[in-house]
Amino acid sequence: MGLTRRRLLGTAAAGALAAAGIYELVDQLAGSPDRTSAGPLGPEQHLLDGLSVVVDEGVEVVVPPLHHEVVTAKLRTGTGVAELRAAQAELEAALRGLDKRYEATPAGLGVTVAWGLPYFRRYVAGQARRHLPVDTRATATRGEPVRALEDSIRFPSDPPETILEENDVAVLLRSDSLDSIADGSEALFDELDGMLRVTSIRRGFIGGGFEGARSLPKRMAMAAGVPGADLIPETAELFLGFTSSQKAGLGPTRIANFETLGYVDLRGSAYFAQGTHMHVSHLFENLEAWYLNFDHRERVDTTFRPGLDVPVQTLTVPQGPDDVQTPADVSANYAETRRIGHSGSIQPSSRLIEDVKGPDGTLYAKGTAIPQRADFNTLDNPFFWTANPDGDRFSRDPAAGLHFVVFNPSSDDFRRNRMAMDGVLPDGTVLPFEPRSRGQGFNAVLQTTHRQNFLVPPRVHRSFPLAELKA
Amino acid sequence: MAFIVLLAVVAAGCGGGDSSSSPGTTATPVAAPCPKAWKAGWQRLADDVGAPVYCPSWMPPEIDANIDGRFRNGRWVSADKSYLVSFVWLDQDAGVSREVHVNFRGYPGKTAIPTCESTHTVKGKTIRKPIPCFSDPQPQKRRLGDITATVYTANQGIDEWHVLYAWQRDGSLYTASEHVISPYSYSKVVENLDRMTKGLVMLQPSA
Repeated sequence: MGLTRRRLLGTAAAGALAAAGIYELVDQLAGSPDRTSAGPLGPEQHLLDGLSVVVDEGVEVVVPPLHHEVVTAKLRTGTGVAELRAAQAELEAALRGLDKRYEATPAGLGVTVAWGLPYFRRYVAGQARRHLPVDTRATATRGEPVRALEDSIRFPSDPPETILEENDVAVLLRSDSLDSIADGSEALFDELDGMLRVTSIRRGFIGGGFEGARSLPKRMAMAAGVPGADLIPETAELFLGFTSSQKAGLGPTRIANFETLGYVDLRGSAYFAQGTHMHVSHLFENLEAWYLNFDHRERVDTTFRPGLDVPVQTLTVPQGPDDVQTPADVSANYAETRRIGHSGSIQPSSRLIEDVKGPDGTLYAKGTAIPQRADFNTLDNPFFWTANPDGDRFSRDPAAGLHFVVFNPSSDDFRRNRMAMDGVLPDGTVLPFEPRSRGQGFNAVLQTTHRQNFLVPPRVHRSFPLAELKA
Repeated sequence: MAFIVLLAVVAAGCGGGDSSSSPGTTATPVAAPCPKAWKAGWQRLADDVGAPVYCPSWMPPEIDANIDGRFRNGRWVSADKSYLVSFVWLDQDAGVSREVHVNFRGYPGKTAIPTCESTHTVKGKTIRKPIPCFSDPQPQKRRLGDITATVYTANQGIDEWHVLYAWQRDGSLYTASEHVISPYSYSKVVENLDRMTKGLVMLQPSA
């Protein structure tokens, strides 16, 4: 008798993958945005084609896919060459099946398979030593070899209980259709013949509201009855109010690829070219604290930069190259107000400080954003489903939060940005803040529960990277 | 075992300056009168400030509005006759806090939103800045009997974490606010404030 899907994944995980739970409301509450069709499938797994752009309050805003899901897993596959290659072929076949059925667009289904250090250490340690990209900038700074993929750390504003995860693999699914996500997720994991043990399922949503209608996060929060839902502005793209997917605030095209900015040495091999790095974290958002303690003026000050002049109740604030803060600007803000802006503090490390021409000839101008964010709001607490409810402090009660997913050229690049958010600037300036102090704005109302870094191989090596090189 | 703590809180000193009172004369139609047990304290307040004050006829469960009663958190009258009356009930059981906290304010002869001072201290340096005591007015006003209240959601001092209703009457500003904290969510606080505000009874100062 063949393995059934429930035997493969365990009854609970299989049931959770099939169930939409409260997220079923997304399809009922939001129509699908207008989308353009895709071109040929690109070499990068992490790039979505067909993203539409709207103009909101005079600012160009990318309309992200409505639905997101991240499934994390540990491998059950043995470490032997034959078993590993068989698993590689099976996963690739499952992914190709999805490629045939869906365009890699929000109207179709975007699938990104990313691999954690536990995989590289346990399954392909020798090959990883030779082929994993090295972060040359971090290596120079720290005076020792630093790989583009490192274990995540707890940051100064993280609580001590933040869990640093050790998953082998994470799969990010993005679509405007909940059915497509469910179909892709089920089809993918159905075909992974017992090779995975799902550790968590994370779900969420983003968007809407640009046409003046009540946004999706507002509707979902209200439907779930999470504390502070009533206080979210009607058209907010995300729970915390401000529009986050401004075109100028997101890294363009291939900027986060390993090979683009020269931060990373591919070590004479093209194996991981067109790949990137992915950070995944979950954090709770205390909406009542944000909206009852910070008025709009203070929310603008601590989200963007102190003193930024915008009309009352503005939610979409320009973040173009001309709006970028330098370390000196951030330090001056701190000296004057003992506050820094979330975006402003990150910009010295997240924006290009000079023009860079990529290897494909693309010119990335000074001030261009580097990170390509794929974050989304969630009502998971902290996950939709987990294999370890006690360890993950799981609750069925909905809770306002964010699954933060971002693509950077390396773990260190993400680290620099995140440290800047805590007042540690790239020029070495340390702005002393108590953890989660009010002057850090966002950080005062966020509580990070989980973190992990992953490597996203190029599409051609997305399945069990380096396994084919194992002798 | 649950126990009740009555909290004494020092009121934040918002507003200031001299003013003259201008007692209103309009009768307020109400469904319920100011309860007898509460009325004496509110009448004394009206007499002290020399201006009309609003006596509640309903309060959220757990507390009452007896200024001389066990839920009194404080009664302050400033030199300019602006006043603050605060009631609180606080319950702590097995590490879980529950609180019902309601404040009433009046600014006889003034209608401007008062100014508070934000103090922000990091590593020993304190930054002080004047800010409005009541911020983030919501677009939808609440029409409650003959009161049309603006809802403020980001407030300062003793009204921090409170939803605050503010309205003007005969050249004076009045407010009622309630803390958003267990057992009352934001929507329940709005419900409570609606009912409290609708049931307010205006008391004139004694001749």
